[in-house]
Amino acid sequence: MKLRHVKSSVVLGSLVALALASSATGQSTAKIWTSDAVADRQRLMKLNGASWADAQAKLKAGNIEAIAVNAETMALTSTQIAALFPEGSLTDKSKAKPEIWQKWAEFEAAAKNMGAQAEKLRDAARSKDQAATEAVAKEFGRQACGTCHQPFRVPPPQQQQQQPPSPPQQLQPR
Amino acid sequence: MELRHVRTGVILGSLVALAVVGCATGTTTTTGASDTVANRQRLMKNVGANWAEIQNKVKAGNAEAVAVNAEVLSLHAQRITSYFPEGSLTDKSKAKPDIWQKWPEFQAAAKNLENRAGTLRDQAVAKDAAAVTTTVGTFGRDACGACHTPFRVPPPQQQPAAPRS
Repeated sequence: MKLRHVKSSVVLGSLVALALASSATGQSTAKIWTSDAVADRQRLMKLNGASWADAQAKLKAGNIEAIAVNAETMALTSTQIAALFPEGSLTDKSKAKPEIWQKWAEFEAAAKNMGAQAEKLRDAARSKDQAATEAVAKEFGRQACGTCHQPFRVPPPQQQQQQPPSPPQQLQPR
Repeated sequence: MELRHVRTGVILGSLVALAVVGCATGTTTTTGASDTVANRQRLMKNVGANWAEIQNKVKAGNAEAVAVNAEVLSLHAQRITSYFPEGSLTDKSKAKPDIWQKWPEFQAAAKNLENRAGTLRDQAVAKDAAAVTTTVGTFGRDACGACHTPFRVPPPQQQPAAPRS
């Protein structure tokens, strides 16, 4: 699998592939998720990435209040994360580290932390306070994403030294 | 308040867990009905907010950008039925009892939202602005209204999704 730092449209492109895979396997209307936990959680996390990219684009455009919807989306999806990592769900397609299950309480706490950070971002955006929203957003990549990705996810090759949080991810693939 | 957020997180987390178990066994959850109502209203409010943003983006000529919001709708739609365990009808809820009397239809309506939102997402990813605009034009009626009309008591100031020509 090629790993690149991609712009959001590419992220969304692969989202579609995952979504198609999901609907092919998940015909039952009673199920929340398909039986493929890795695909389900990658779909969820790609949506988080896309929501975060959308929030950053709005920040850049000074469209502060509109960030709230993305932040609330992330707060809601964060509540699903832990359930999407059942023990033994570590395939060669997954970038999860085994530490997740060795330090389950810490993993759960990291997912909860993401929810709390997302709510902070949401509340700042709702208050239309640009400075406050920028302050939360500036730390979000490290505080919300990184706190979990650093200990619990194998980093994509080109993203390793990409962690400084501020610049919106608008890299153009060429 | 930190503690409240933590508590909400715990409640939501256990809801998800219960929902997963519930789906596996076909039983309903034991979570308090008022929490269930609050949680599903929170989910549906986020659905509404993403839908509002889809409309704004289309109006602003930014149809391609709706993909992220459409994907939110599609994923949230997958969770809807798990938020309606039998007996979760409080005075704060606008759910109609018909939900549980016509459960397969309710499930189908949620699935319909998931599918239509998926279509919208695919059209946006394909940068097909015309298709996005067309889908958005009927989405309120065909996706939201198909469930809200039979299964939700309409809010007083809000007309039930009127068929638009």
